[in-house]
Amino acid sequence: MATNLARDVYVIGVGMHRFNNDRLDSAAMADVAGMRALDDAGIEFPTVGALYNGYLGGSITSGVAIAKEFGLTGIPVTHVENASATGSCAFGEAVHAVSGGRVEVAMALGFDDMNRMAGLGRSSGRRMGAEDVMLPAAFFAMWATRRMHDVGTTVETFAAIAAKNWNHARANPLAQRRADHEITIEEVLSSTMISYPHTSMMACASGGGAAAAIVATKEVADRLGAGRPMIRVTASQQRSETYTPGHVFLGAVIGPAQMTRDTAADAYAQAGIGPDDLDLVQVHDAFPVEELVYYELLGICGDGEGDRLVADGETQLGGRIPFSTDGGLTARGHPGGPTGLAQIHETTMQLRDEAGNRQVTGARTGLCHMAGAGSVCVVHILQRTS
Amino acid sequence: MPPTAIPTDPRLFRLARGDETRPHLLGSYAPESELYFWPRRYRCPVTRTAVADVDLSSEGTLHAWTFLHVPRMGSISFGETGGYGIGQIDLPEGVRIQAPLFGTTDDWNIGTLMGMTTFPVGQDDDGNELVTFRFEAVR
Repeated sequence: MATNLARDVYVIGVGMHRFNNDRLDSAAMADVAGMRALDDAGIEFPTVGALYNGYLGGSITSGVAIAKEFGLTGIPVTHVENASATGSCAFGEAVHAVSGGRVEVAMALGFDDMNRMAGLGRSSGRRMGAEDVMLPAAFFAMWATRRMHDVGTTVETFAAIAAKNWNHARANPLAQRRADHEITIEEVLSSTMISYPHTSMMACASGGGAAAAIVATKEVADRLGAGRPMIRVTASQQRSETYTPGHVFLGAVIGPAQMTRDTAADAYAQAGIGPDDLDLVQVHDAFPVEELVYYELLGICGDGEGDRLVADGETQLGGRIPFSTDGGLTARGHPGGPTGLAQIHETTMQLRDEAGNRQVTGARTGLCHMAGAGSVCVVHILQRTS
Repeated sequence: MPPTAIPTDPRLFRLARGDETRPHLLGSYAPESELYFWPRRYRCPVTRTAVADVDLSSEGTLHAWTFLHVPRMGSISFGETGGYGIGQIDLPEGVRIQAPLFGTTDDWNIGTLMGMTTFPVGQDDDGNELVTFRFEAVR
C-alpha cells in the first residue's frame, strides 16, 4: 500500500507558538507559528503555492480566515482534519502537493485549543451509548492493564516513560509543561489517579498552541538553503484500519496495533531504511503505554522487549534511540491540530543541529508517528542530506 | 405504572424478551468470511459480501479493564464508588465489545465471565426511561 513521492521534497521552514494552557486566541497563535515558519524559510507568503490548515476546534471557516492574515494571494486553502493526526495529515498533504507537482512550495499550519473543544468525541443529546464513556484515558488504560497481564509491565515502567518525557520538556522552551525540577517516578505515581493505572502526570498535556512547516522542491530548497542543512522528507505514509481478530468497531480510540506496524513498514520501505537507521523518534505518546507499545510496533525492539529499553534508559536523551525528545504529547503538549506539526518542528530542529540542550548528537534521521482517533496512523521520516 | 424502558440507541442493543434474562447486542454475521461484527454493518468489511442481522451472546470474558475516576457523562453519578469501570469483553462469536462495567475493581479480573445488563441514564420527552448497557461479573 506504500505510496511514493514522485519528486523529492524538503522541509525549508518550521515555526511554532509555544503550547500552553493560557486560553490564548487560536488565530493569533496560528499567525505567530505561520510567520515564524515563513521567516525560517526566508520567504514571503506569496511564494507559498498551497496552504493546508489542520484544526479540530473553531469554525469551519477558521482556516481560510487565518490564511487572509498571511495575504490574499488566491492560493488553494484546504481544511484537513483527522483527530490527533490532523497536523501530521496536513503536513502529508503539503508534502504530496509538492511531490505530485501541484505546487513548488506548500505550507501546513496546525492550530487549536483542546480545552475549548467541549464534548469532543461525545454523541449529541441523550444518546448515551457505548461511545460516550470512552475517554482516551480509559481506552489506553485498557491497553495498559492488558499489557500488565500479558508482559508483566509494571506501573513504575509507565511512570518512568512519563517522567522521561516531562524531563525532556525541561529543555524545550516551546513545551507546555516545564517542570522546575527533575521529575521522578515517585512523583508521577503519586499524582491524581485518572483511570487505573494512569495518573494525571502520565496523561498528555491538553492545551492550546500552533505549529507550521513549509515544504518545497529540491530546486527551491537549494536556492533558499544558503548552506543550511537540507532536511528531506524521505517517507510520508498514512493508513487506516485493516481487520484483525478482536476488532473493536465502536468506541475504540485507536485501532489495531497492526495499523502502526504496517504504516511504519510502508515508511521504512519508502525511505529505504530500517529502524536501526533512526537517530530519534516522536510518537503519539498520549499515555506512556502508547510509547512503550510503539517501541515494538516501530521495530525498535522485539515484541515484549520495550520494558527493557525503558529500564536501560535507551529511549531517553543520551540513550541509544531517544523518543519524544521535545517532551512529546506528555509534556510538550497536545492541542490537537498542531501536535503532529510540532513533531516535524522538533525533528527538523534536531536534524539541523539546532535543538539546544536537548540536541541528539549527530542526528541525521528522525521518524514522526501519530495516531488519530477513528482511526488512522501517519508516519513521516525526515533525513538530513547535507 | 413504572416508566417504559427504552434503549438509548435501538441500533446497538435490544432489551430482554420473554423469558430471556439478559439484553442482547445487535450484530451482523457474514457467511462468506464466517465473521461476526458489532455494531451492525452494511456489508462484511473483509469480503464486501452480504451480512445477516443476528443477536449476539450476552456473556463473554473480560479482555481488559480500567477504573475511571474522572467524570465525563453528566447524568451518570459516581455515587459511592468514586468512579466506574470500563472493559473490553470478548464474546464467543469473536466480537470485542467496549462497555461500562458494574461494580468495583474487586469484582473482576482479566478472564472473568461477564454478563450484559442495562442501567438508566435519563428520560425521553415522553417520560420513558432511557437505558444503556453495561457488563457485570457473572456469579
